Amino acid sequence: MNFANLAALWYLLPLAGTIILLYLLKMRRKDFNVPATFLWPKLTTEVRANSLLQKLKFSWLMVLQLIAISLIVAALARPQTQQEGLAGSVTVFVLDTSASMSADDADGTRFDDAVARVRKAVSTAKPGDRFSLVEASTIPRVALPLSRDPARMRDALNSLSPTDAECDMAEALRLAAALVGTQESGHIVLLSDGAFGEIENFSRGKAALHFQQVGSSSDNVAITAMGVADSTAGKQLYCGVRNYSANNKAATLSFYAEGKLFNSKKIEVVAGKAVGETSNVPPGANILEARIEVDDALPADNFAFVVADPRSTLRVLLITKGNIFLERALALDPRVTLDIAAALPENDSVYDIVVFDGVAEAKTNARGVLTFGAAGPPSIVRAVGSASKPRVSVSDDDSALMKYVDLSSTFIDKAERVEPKQGAKVLVDSNQGPVIVASDIGKKQIYVGFSVLDSDFALQIGFPIFVSNALDYMAGQAASDVVAIKTGKTLSFPATAEDNASLKSPDGSQMQIEPAGGSYALRSLKKSGKYVFEYSGKITTIYASVLNDKESEIGPAKNLQLEGGEVQAAKAPARIADFWRPLALLCLAVLAGEWWLFARKS
Amino acid sequence: MKSAGEYIFAHSEIRLLERLRLNPRKIADGRIRGDRLTRKKGVSIEFADFRDYVDGDDVRHLDWNVLARMQTPVIRTYQDEEDIAVYVLLDCSASMDFGNPSKFEVAKRIAAAIGYIALCGSDALYGVPLRKPLETARVLRNRINFLKFDTWLSSQIPEADAPLSSTLTAFAAGKSRPGFAIVISDGLDPEVASSIARLGGRGHEVGFIQVLAPEELDPDIEGDLRLIDSESPVLVEITANSQALKEYGKNLRKHCSSLASACKRVGGRYFQVETRESFDSIIKDKLRRGGWAS
Repeated sequence: MNFANLAALWYLLPLAGTIILLYLLKMRRKDFNVPATFLWPKLTTEVRANSLLQKLKFSWLMVLQLIAISLIVAALARPQTQQEGLAGSVTVFVLDTSASMSADDADGTRFDDAVARVRKAVSTAKPGDRFSLVEASTIPRVALPLSRDPARMRDALNSLSPTDAECDMAEALRLAAALVGTQESGHIVLLSDGAFGEIENFSRGKAALHFQQVGSSSDNVAITAMGVADSTAGKQLYCGVRNYSANNKAATLSFYAEGKLFNSKKIEVVAGKAVGETSNVPPGANILEARIEVDDALPADNFAFVVADPRSTLRVLLITKGNIFLERALALDPRVTLDIAAALPENDSVYDIVVFDGVAEAKTNARGVLTFGAAGPPSIVRAVGSASKPRVSVSDDDSALMKYVDLSSTFIDKAERVEPKQGAKVLVDSNQGPVIVASDIGKKQIYVGFSVLDSDFALQIGFPIFVSNALDYMAGQAASDVVAIKTGKTLSFPATAEDNASLKSPDGSQMQIEPAGGSYALRSLKKSGKYVFEYSGKITTIYASVLNDKESEIGPAKNLQLEGGEVQAAKAPARIADFWRPLALLCLAVLAGEWWLFARKS
Repeated sequence: MKSAGEYIFAHSEIRLLERLRLNPRKIADGRIRGDRLTRKKGVSIEFADFRDYVDGDDVRHLDWNVLARMQTPVIRTYQDEEDIAVYVLLDCSASMDFGNPSKFEVAKRIAAAIGYIALCGSDALYGVPLRKPLETARVLRNRINFLKFDTWLSSQIPEADAPLSSTLTAFAAGKSRPGFAIVISDGLDPEVASSIARLGGRGHEVGFIQVLAPEELDPDIEGDLRLIDSESPVLVEITANSQALKEYGKNLRKHCSSLASACKRVGGRYFQVETRESFDSIIKDKLRRGGWAS
């Protein structure tokens, strides 16, 4: 404890001296005649004085008054102590709700432990303290804006639940920094097990960052990989199981087809190592599940799903110098497994579709090719020059590729002036030549005459729909009605009607999804298990699995890795806080006691 | 100060007092014939005992029936009737001049009543003012002398230098014949118990009537006070709070209890009178029911 205003202690001398001086004054008593004095006790309590002077006598009143004045002077000196709880007067709690936080190695789960810590910290809030809550999930959000109301914080905490998905911690911290990064007294308190990658592009600003690490164990065995491959003996299921704990683990690995067990085996996984197991898929089986029975801290990653139907997966290679719009639009499709490269690799036979973004189209073995703004020799068009600010004039709205896509209001800064080759069909034309051309001779090819970044097409509603349509066109068929995804992935389905769609979650709860911009966006697939999505008269079953190495590696991080360096994990944030209120309360209590004593004696 | 004849009672009070006789527990030897039986055998109508005839006995007292039947001369003896000395010891200390009505006035009225009863009973009444120097008491007999006693009472005033214990001790040390010594006082003297013991030790039957004012029994004072004793230069500084009043009440009860105990030890009697009590109540409830008079 230290004093912010140490000089105030000097006040004690004159004030205490004055009190003692008052007790040195002698009382002038009123004369009163009585028949006899021997019956009267010599009980005198000198609480008033009006004459000089007498020898100082012991008095409890004087003692209590000296204690009270000492407490007042001590309070004026502003004593300060280090107190646990809120880190400062403005605090943003960033609460990790990722899959690893469901590990039950803390008091309950790690999530429960983190919530309890936030509750405890908020309970120590002083009047004027403000706090906020950011949920660090797949799509981070502010669960509670800066508030002084602990009840609202409790409500916000109650609204949170742990997910089985990966979190975007960097984005969550950026959100927190946006809330308090400009304030000197701002504090960001991150409650997490640290099971996420290095945080990039984050600046805490003026705010201080505290890392409260939760969890203690790395005891986890998880299914980390699962897929189906064609072989000479038919389809074969492969499954990777990794042991993240420090001890060897025995487990039972079981495979299910359409919910029925078709293979089971005992496996031994060495600490820190992975084992791969394969099994032939029963003929006709489509939905395959692998499940391990093992005693570990995180059960959510002990099972995974895969769909055997080839239509359910598309391996896509994006050749680009960097295009976030295209990356996200491609990744929206639940079938897509996306790889990104700057140039076409030598062996491209593993890819179903190759997308050339501003890079000249080259010869590829993929069954579908989508090219943006750079025709090459294998292209379905021939470049004849360049066009500046072409205006779209004709669009073939009847084609499946342009369904729900309207380019009439799209601004195109520059484009290639091309001529379609034989067999190619112009779907969208402009005043300066063809803009979108498609061909299905040999392989499915689509040519878009401008680069995405040279237009505002990426900002249009129709852009993700066009990408989805293009994937359907190049894949040769529409998406399957059964999809296996990783938890946390956002799926988009075209909405052909304005009707609400419904999503049934693994826990049985039903959720209404409203269409937006011609599609249904499913952002609530954060728990692993089976979802049933009903939309536009169709039913799509979605199987979500964790299958995430970062989330399964639950060993808590001791320090937080930031671009600017490390942040040490702390048990609980502490702050230097004024301690005068308890002293003032104690002083009031002493004065109350002094008053009681005075009233009793007089 | 009251004028002479102040304590002459109303008719109803006189009727009440005339019916009463003082009732001492001890029978003291009298000096002259009175209305009270003594241990001495004498001439009266009260039969006492038989004894053998000896020469010189008055043959008029022979029991002829016994002589006829048993051939033995037997004399009938009778109890003698004598007066007793009743001492009305009036505390004239300064502490008696307290309260409204003052304790002294009430004490004098009680003394008058006792004096009237004694005179009606043909007792020898001695009025003794307890002050320094102790005056020699003059005996009064017969109710005709009540006016003298009343005049004497009216002339008494409380004085500062008359501590109860010393004046009572001085009376006990005097040559007064043993009798019924009735002390009428507030008893506010820490040494009074030993004085009562001395009085009882001289053969007196002690009766102590303690007269106290309501202000003494339940003082209504508060604040920081310097108490001035009415009989001594002692000053006591107090803070009159609930604790002090409680302590005072406790001390007073203890002192009164010691007074009563002292009286009891010498075979005497004690009762307390509050100055607000009515005359009838004092006579009927305290004197008569207490067995002081019957």
